[in-house]
Amino acid sequence: MGFEFKFSVIWESVPILLTGVKLTILITFFGLVIGFILGTFTGLGKTSRNRFLYGISAAYVESIRGTPLMVQVLFLYFGLPMVLGMRVPPIAAGISAIAINSGAYIAEIVRGAIQSMDRGQTEAGRSIGLSHAQCLLYVIWPQAFKRMIPPLGNQFIISLKDTSLLVVIGVGELTRTGQEIIAVNFRAFEVWLTVALMYLVLTLSLSWVLSLTERRLEIKT
Amino acid sequence: MIEIRDLHKSFGDLEVLKGINLHIRPGEVVVVIGPSGSGKSTLLRCINRLEEITSGTIIVDGHDLYARETDINFIRTEAGMVFQQFNLFPHMTALKNVTLGPIKVRKVQRKEAERLGMELLAKVGLKDKAHVHPDQLSGGQKQRVAIARALSLTPKVMLFDEPTSALDPELVGEVLEVMRQVVREGMTMVVVTHEMAFAREAADRVIFMDDGMIVEEDVPDEIFSNPKNPRTSAFLGKVH
Repeated sequence: MGFEFKFSVIWESVPILLTGVKLTILITFFGLVIGFILGTFTGLGKTSRNRFLYGISAAYVESIRGTPLMVQVLFLYFGLPMVLGMRVPPIAAGISAIAINSGAYIAEIVRGAIQSMDRGQTEAGRSIGLSHAQCLLYVIWPQAFKRMIPPLGNQFIISLKDTSLLVVIGVGELTRTGQEIIAVNFRAFEVWLTVALMYLVLTLSLSWVLSLTERRLEIKT
Repeated sequence: MIEIRDLHKSFGDLEVLKGINLHIRPGEVVVVIGPSGSGKSTLLRCINRLEEITSGTIIVDGHDLYARETDINFIRTEAGMVFQQFNLFPHMTALKNVTLGPIKVRKVQRKEAERLGMELLAKVGLKDKAHVHPDQLSGGQKQRVAIARALSLTPKVMLFDEPTSALDPELVGEVLEVMRQVVREGMTMVVVTHEMAFAREAADRVIFMDDGMIVEEDVPDEIFSNPKNPRTSAFLGKVH
């Protein structure tokens, strides 16, 4: 019983897998947009001298970083509805999970970049009368953002791949689509290979966009 | 203009200012000299509230700097600060560096702010560098832009924290020249520096600090030619 590689399986799978790719992109995109906003605010919270802001930010970061994404997904989809008394659509649960999870890591990236800035920059900003918020917005953030790009790229790629965990709640993203095809044709080798290549194309595109952004910011300053 | 009463400042267990009393009149140029670690930079930074003080009072232009009701952002626009390490905003052109304050703090129209900014850059001799980022400027040019930036909010006092200490020797002159120009315009100035020649010619009063205290203060001629305190003469002996 020899194994025979069938190219036809790949050609037949691609159109179906692409519907999964679409959903993977959608979940990653919205998950990361929300995650970035969440991470920015909690990251700033962790640089705050206000103990309440620092406290909730730190609690959020630690509780999310310290628990597996899989458990967070299951909790959001199966656990929370028991309290809320209503079902959460799988895609919404998926986007929330990616957002909340990436937000915790992005918070640390934001905090690290802001705290790595030279204190003299803040002092110079404050000395010309800028308020704390103005100083952050016009002086610190633009410089810190540049330093955030490489670690953000890392996190974006991790979150993209993390969407594959959403198979456990039945979101029809790329991995789930692959499973469904295999359930019908049993061609695990060809299908998983194709799925893997599709993830690779997605992550490589993401890296490319990020390095472009980095170069553009480099030229601008 | 500036009134400092019994100012104490500690970093942890280390007391760096041990009761400073100082009165600076409008238009007066005060140069603060002294060995490193004597507290002169800390004193200067307290006048702009870049440090929190331990006890005492600082009044700038009638406003109690450390009072709760004081709008510190407003007071800071009254005192322009020039740093040893320039601290220019590296992501902005020279012109943007000098227009940020007026536009964001004073709400001046961009066009008007740029016109004033160009005037300031012309004053420090860097009109042609208006659209250049700091990393393309020499140290002396950076410090001149920083002086223009500090002047951009038309402050009543200028504070200089060792403005030439980070410069190559050949670039010191151009910065001192700009500072002399600011002196000629009648600005009230407090300058922490090791440039004794500048102190001698530009200062109305020289203050010698050591170990967190004002040891001696006098007109430059007296302090340099006829220091009364042995610590002052020992310090000046080392510097000369």
